[in-house]
Amino acid sequence: MDQFLQQLVNGLSIGSIYALMAVGYSLVYSIMNFSNFAHGSVIMLGAYFGFFALTRLGVPFSVAFFIAALGTAAIAVILERLAYKPLRDRRAPFLYFIITAMGASIFIDNSVIATIGPTPKTFPPDLLPAWLQGDPLEWGMLTVGRIDIAIFLTAAICLFLLMIFIDFTKLGKAIQATAYNMKASALMGINPNFVIILVFAIGGGLAGAAGVLYGMKYQVFPQMSAITLKSFIAAVFGGLGSLPGALLGSVLLALIETFVSGYLSTQYRDLFAFIILIGMLVVRPSGIMGKDAEDKA
Amino acid sequence: MRKTVCSILVAAMALSVSAQTAGTVKIGWFGPETGDSALWGQAELATVKMMAEDYNAKGGISVGGKNYKMEIVAYDDKGDSVEAVNVVKRLIHQDKVIAIVGAQGSGEAIPVAPLCDEAKIPLVASTATNPKVTVGDNGKVNQFMFRACFTDPYQGKVAAHFAAKKLGKKRAAIFMTIDDPYSTGLSEFFKAAFEQAGGKVVAEVSYTSGEKDFRAPLTKIKAANPDVIFIPAYYNDVALAAKQARDLGIKQLLLGGDGWPSENLISLAGNSLEGSLFVNHLDFDGVAAKPMRDEYKKKYGKNAELNSYMVHDALVMVVDAMQRAKSVDPVAIQKALTTTDLQAITGHIKIGPNHDPVGKEAWLIKIVGPNMKFQEKFATTN
Repeated sequence: MDQFLQQLVNGLSIGSIYALMAVGYSLVYSIMNFSNFAHGSVIMLGAYFGFFALTRLGVPFSVAFFIAALGTAAIAVILERLAYKPLRDRRAPFLYFIITAMGASIFIDNSVIATIGPTPKTFPPDLLPAWLQGDPLEWGMLTVGRIDIAIFLTAAICLFLLMIFIDFTKLGKAIQATAYNMKASALMGINPNFVIILVFAIGGGLAGAAGVLYGMKYQVFPQMSAITLKSFIAAVFGGLGSLPGALLGSVLLALIETFVSGYLSTQYRDLFAFIILIGMLVVRPSGIMGKDAEDKA
Repeated sequence: MRKTVCSILVAAMALSVSAQTAGTVKIGWFGPETGDSALWGQAELATVKMMAEDYNAKGGISVGGKNYKMEIVAYDDKGDSVEAVNVVKRLIHQDKVIAIVGAQGSGEAIPVAPLCDEAKIPLVASTATNPKVTVGDNGKVNQFMFRACFTDPYQGKVAAHFAAKKLGKKRAAIFMTIDDPYSTGLSEFFKAAFEQAGGKVVAEVSYTSGEKDFRAPLTKIKAANPDVIFIPAYYNDVALAAKQARDLGIKQLLLGGDGWPSENLISLAGNSLEGSLFVNHLDFDGVAAKPMRDEYKKKYGKNAELNSYMVHDALVMVVDAMQRAKSVDPVAIQKALTTTDLQAITGHIKIGPNHDPVGKEAWLIKIVGPNMKFQEKFATTN
């Protein structure tokens, strides 16, 4: 029982990071109908922004966190302008977008390897806020790291605010309308270009937050972007294009992974994760909470 | 593929007017200059370059009355076995080296063994500790493969016997990289020796390389309640595992092998490795290591890595073999290498019938604050 609770906590802690990352994939997909594989590289840049803001600029942690989020929001928008807008203007097929995204990802990853280097870095514990330092919290046999709690809370707050924004503000409604039908909403006076920039900025900002949290929990390294692929799977699992779906998919995937590696073996973890993904795609191609594929076509 | 050639020093030539220079010998080096273990590969390359400059500054290596300059031909294998095969082919057939040093990872050293045997070019591995580097699957010795380090069976036994006999540990857990032969091999040898010494292995859990979250398998270890945890992995994973283990409230002693020592280990792990012990090839602060430690620090401005000392000894073995063979012919060097018996930085190297150093002592190192402190010399027999 103790072990079960501990594994549950382990799973939730990974799940909340997956969720922050998955939302970025989902948002862009809901508007533009393609999987932005460069998102992982933006997350990686976020971790580096946070790391260097903290260690080089010497700003407090909360400021470093916002610098990272703003920095990646800007990067995501620039990426959209430079890489995807020319394709949109030419009405290129979606395949071109995906290939461009992969190219952008490889470009960003290798730029970091070439300039900063491949060696992993750790957030220096003494530069983190005092409440993040020190021993993990213990309740009986259950132990929870302070960073894990911070990650869970940050992810919950960010995602809660995002949902409020999408559901209760005019801009959020504009995003929803564009996701539903870009042409019709444009005719109603919603500027699709503006919505696309907005979506990339939000996804990018969350990517920065996710990057910093991931870097704090593990390490900061250029190959991080490959690992974020798991969050893409979570987004597909939950239903690409749906925010609650991305959340649910992330938590479920993380729990499955944790319990499989905790009770069976780590070798079976990815096996199970992918079997479930394939099973889901066969039975319900749009994911747990996704809209029907026909609707989106 | 990056090619780095240390050309002969003009200054050295000017100094050695009196010595009769018979030519240049090419020694090959390969290892990871990029990738996860780049830190160690770069340290090795820096060391062999430094040594070649030193030999050449003294007028070269005297072999049978003639002086030879040393030229290092170096390639990056990116820590990848396929790349390793490619660069070794290139070293042998294109650059025509007379001997090769480096091959720090067993994963890269094992696949190149048939190439060296076929082309009759001796290779002295620096830190490839897997038994299969020198003895093939068929049980036959790879004639042209040698190494400067002790092997994993020995290392595993040292760690196990130290834990069981010296520290009185009874219940061990093993946390290994399932897809890395170094890690699985060392785990196997540790387990056998620990059980032979009367202990019990209560948990054997693993992860796949490249993973960053170890909480699920570590929770399994915690539930098994061991009194020592053996982690045969490389420093980066060790740092991650140690941090996450402490986060899960695992307070037991962590024990490791020669994948641990690195300048980056402690900065990555913070204080989570405090008090942990690992088996090493030498004492970094010892007298034997001092001259090289100082020279390296002066030249490169940073501390020499474990691999610097190991590749140093590998190259010393090659030079010693050349001098005893009085020849720069690869086959003659191979013959002389089989009778190697010399005192090097990392200990006494006497090559045995399996082309491994026999009876080389291991050093137990303890992590104290930001330092790696020599704890004790520990040799074990059966």
